[in-house]
Amino acid sequence: MKKLYEYSATELAALLRAKEVSAAEIATSSLDRIAAVEDQIDAYLTVTADEALATAKRVDEKIAAGEEIAPLAGIPIAIKDNICTKSIKTTCASRMLENFVPPYDATVMEKLNAQDIVVTGKVNMDEFAMGGSCENSYFKKTKNPWDTSRVPGGSSGGSAAAVAACEVPLALGSDTGGSVRCPASFCGIVGLKPTYGAVSRYGLVAFASSLDQIGPFGRTVDDVSLLYGAICGRDVRDATSRETALGKVEGSVKGLRLGIPKEYFGEGISAEVKASVYAAAEQLRGLGAEIVEISLPSTDYALAAYYIISSAEASSNLARYDGVKYGFSGNREGTLNDLYLSTRSQGFGAEVKRRIMLGTYVLSSGYYDAYYKRAKLLQNVIAKEFANAFTKCDAILTPVNPTTAFRLGEKCDDPVQMYASDVCTVTVNIAGLPGISFPCGKDGAGLPIGMQVIGPKFSETRLLSIAKSYETAVGGFAVKEM
Amino acid sequence: MNNNFETVIGLEVHAELNTKTKIFCSCENRFGAEVNTLCCPVCMGFPGTLPVLNQQVVESAVKMGHALNCKINGVTKQDRKNYFYPDLPKAYQISQFDVPLCEHGYLDVLVGDDVRRIGVTRIHIEEDAGKLIHDDSFDGTLCDYNRCGVPLIEIVSEPDLRSAEEAKAYLETITTILLYLGISDAKMQEGSVRCDVNVSVRPKGATEFGTRCEMKNVNSFGAVYRAIVYESERQMEVLASGGTVQQETRRWDDAKNKSIVMRSKEDAQDYRYFPDPDLLTFVVSDEKIAALKASLPELPTAKTLRYVKDFGLQKVDAQLLSVNKARADFFDSCVALGRCEAKTVANWVLGDIAKLLNEQRVEITDTALTPEHLVAMIELINKGTISNTAAKTVLEEIMAKDVEPEEVVKEKGLAQISDTSALAGIVDQVLADNPKAVADYKKGKTNVAGFLVGQCMRASRGQGNPATLRDMVIEAIEKL
Amino acid sequence: MEIDVRHIAKLAKLEIPEQEIPKMEQELSSIVSMVEKLPELVSKDSLLDPENTMELRPDVVQPSFARDEMLKNAPDTAAGCLMVPKVVE
Repeated sequence: MKKLYEYSATELAALLRAKEVSAAEIATSSLDRIAAVEDQIDAYLTVTADEALATAKRVDEKIAAGEEIAPLAGIPIAIKDNICTKSIKTTCASRMLENFVPPYDATVMEKLNAQDIVVTGKVNMDEFAMGGSCENSYFKKTKNPWDTSRVPGGSSGGSAAAVAACEVPLALGSDTGGSVRCPASFCGIVGLKPTYGAVSRYGLVAFASSLDQIGPFGRTVDDVSLLYGAICGRDVRDATSRETALGKVEGSVKGLRLGIPKEYFGEGISAEVKASVYAAAEQLRGLGAEIVEISLPSTDYALAAYYIISSAEASSNLARYDGVKYGFSGNREGTLNDLYLSTRSQGFGAEVKRRIMLGTYVLSSGYYDAYYKRAKLLQNVIAKEFANAFTKCDAILTPVNPTTAFRLGEKCDDPVQMYASDVCTVTVNIAGLPGISFPCGKDGAGLPIGMQVIGPKFSETRLLSIAKSYETAVGGFAVKEM
Repeated sequence: MNNNFETVIGLEVHAELNTKTKIFCSCENRFGAEVNTLCCPVCMGFPGTLPVLNQQVVESAVKMGHALNCKINGVTKQDRKNYFYPDLPKAYQISQFDVPLCEHGYLDVLVGDDVRRIGVTRIHIEEDAGKLIHDDSFDGTLCDYNRCGVPLIEIVSEPDLRSAEEAKAYLETITTILLYLGISDAKMQEGSVRCDVNVSVRPKGATEFGTRCEMKNVNSFGAVYRAIVYESERQMEVLASGGTVQQETRRWDDAKNKSIVMRSKEDAQDYRYFPDPDLLTFVVSDEKIAALKASLPELPTAKTLRYVKDFGLQKVDAQLLSVNKARADFFDSCVALGRCEAKTVANWVLGDIAKLLNEQRVEITDTALTPEHLVAMIELINKGTISNTAAKTVLEEIMAKDVEPEEVVKEKGLAQISDTSALAGIVDQVLADNPKAVADYKKGKTNVAGFLVGQCMRASRGQGNPATLRDMVIEAIEKL
Repeated sequence: MEIDVRHIAKLAKLEIPEQEIPKMEQELSSIVSMVEKLPELVSKDSLLDPENTMELRPDVVQPSFARDEMLKNAPDTAAGCLMVPKVVE
């Protein structure tokens, strides 16, 4: 029989309204599941059991009192540990913020708390969201539920693993170069990277401000839609945010032209991944879509532009961690400079330091034009190429990752090799577009393969509809038994 | 001063704007609050927070741009200036780099009898840093972040100033304009206007600039003057003795009247400016720019020149009047009533009114005085209803409360007595009491008449019409 | 590609141990070399984006945070202030 923790958020919301289960039962089942599988998954940095149960109790009281409850009331959710939660530690998986307790809630948390969502805790990630495997966490290495010797992807690896392991039906992550889509694909779930500006970044600890977006995870398209609809829209506290709302997700591809860019199916992409994505495209054709070939010639340059821009912004965004106001503080016995150097050298991990160094370098005197400005100009070129492509098609189909989940430790030694695995996802952030990742098959080892659908700005409803159409056609996405 | 050299000066003036809130968050913008009580996660640079630009900051800066005849860049952006210091919580200052809100302007400054046109390179908006407190009773430096995020405009001049006097006059004009526009408290003593001074010297007649030094911490008009005199003399001495001036940043110590090296050119910072990705390009529409221009008041230099030209005021008086916008506005309103001489109004505003305001440490707008009342009072003098002496009493009354001067005159019995029959007794008594003076007068010392009139005025408790009394005194003596 | 790792580290306020400098230089070089492939794009214009602009905020005061809240995470405080090692003025 299906366990309560296996239900989707949409199903749980219906059961709750039908009074077939209580919010307390849902919360308890989620917390029990976490207790049962965490030692294999290591997704959580902080479990907020007391708060979760208290919220669930409040929801049950509202139901008992006959009050209207919000769509996400009583639904368990895991929050990536770079999204500020008032009075709950927010570490960014860094020694630097090991004991940081934000005095405020991120805008997305305000919105979700207003719905009485049940936050089960804060989940693991690559330190400051820098990485694609979740191995750059200061605290622990999260494992892929499909094969615990493998990475869950990153940087939102804890979010994806928690959902895939049925610890929660929903999770929030963030995506700067693929950090929602990559782990969604490795863990066989659905992840949406919204259009830049669709979701407020207020309270999301910045990695690269012009690329960061908060995105939802779920095991079903409906769940991802539900969560996205709850968090999107303009926020006066984020000057880059825009008014937007989720439309009706029809779940149809009839009449849609879907573009296949040949540049995303090059040598670096494994044969199994390519075959799987092509097969999914065929399936969508069968559902009424038209498949057209398109070209995005600047794709090859996107990775370089991405690393320049994201590292430059990161070098500035992470300068505030200086041991003075919050977080780790190094040697306080010496000079101010000693404090700065010791705090930052001991508080940041190797990957973060590497990116800060790179970003500092590309902005430094004499190199700005050659690197940063050139990358920003290239960003415009890439965005224009996409805009042009969208005159020929309604959405673009690509792989998410060149391969399926790799083994823990497999790519740790070579940053460039690790960076190369972001090749299919960074363009979406560079162009500020929405992208969705959903399962489209498995490789020979039974590991999930993800497909990415990219749309024009603010076409989230369309992307979710395409994903839902596929999901329905394949009879739903598989959940890993544990 | 060495006469073979010329001093070249440029000023960077930082002025805090008096907006209600800070530049990037909704914390109150106020001076003098208890430490760290006007702070929030945004201005303290907490992880995850974002800046949102205050509309009023942009409008105030554009006004200043218009006042300094600048081109306004209606499409602009904000950039980050990166450096580590404990007064800068984000470790970057949000400023403007390559597209300042205003640029290519100028300011006409009155220096003695000359009008000097000083180029204004740019005006940009940025956030202020916090305040470090150095107190020996603590074993560290304390950081107060109330000032973090207070909006600043930085006004950068061209190296067009040629003397300490000019620099001081330029800075005074800038602060007067800030007050005229109502966009800053412009108090150097509270640090709401601060100044960095760039000084170089060169042989007279040279066209190339010399190597410049930047002086920081120049915090009063007097200090600007002294710092420039000191620094130009120092550089001239270096050059005169065959040395070369090193490009460096120096710190002005006004108490010791000298500057000391803060950092040399080699230590120059690399600020790694880049567009702030949290703040997009922003637009001030042409209509808005035009409307802000139209909202500008007449500015002090123009006012001064108009007062001299239209009303025949002395330049020094005209400048004294226009340096204070409230008083200049008051003066203009009085003159606009068209019922008395502008010069008379100026004398009252600069004389007795200024004296009373200084004594009470208030501004003219803090008193009950209205242009209508002052002019009515002057009319009473002109009609001979009251004497100048009595008018001073009237003035005190009409500044203290909203009351017609005529009523004050009635109530206090201040009306001048011009009726000879009413004054005859007083004159007779004064002549009788002062036989020596009368005798002196008869001997031809006619100037003692003034003394006798004074005695009569005193006896009439200031109410006698002095002209009438004078006629009566002379007539009475001659009759004796 | 010569990268002055010591200079960059100084700007970034990071201590890179002597023995790690060659590795760091090699890593940075290999990342930067990806950029060498970028097409030559030159523009004298500033990085303005008039098609994607932001709204400004009305000048309305909202309450600040309690000082205790703001100092709660600080490693060292005194007299309502954050404290850092003595800085010479």
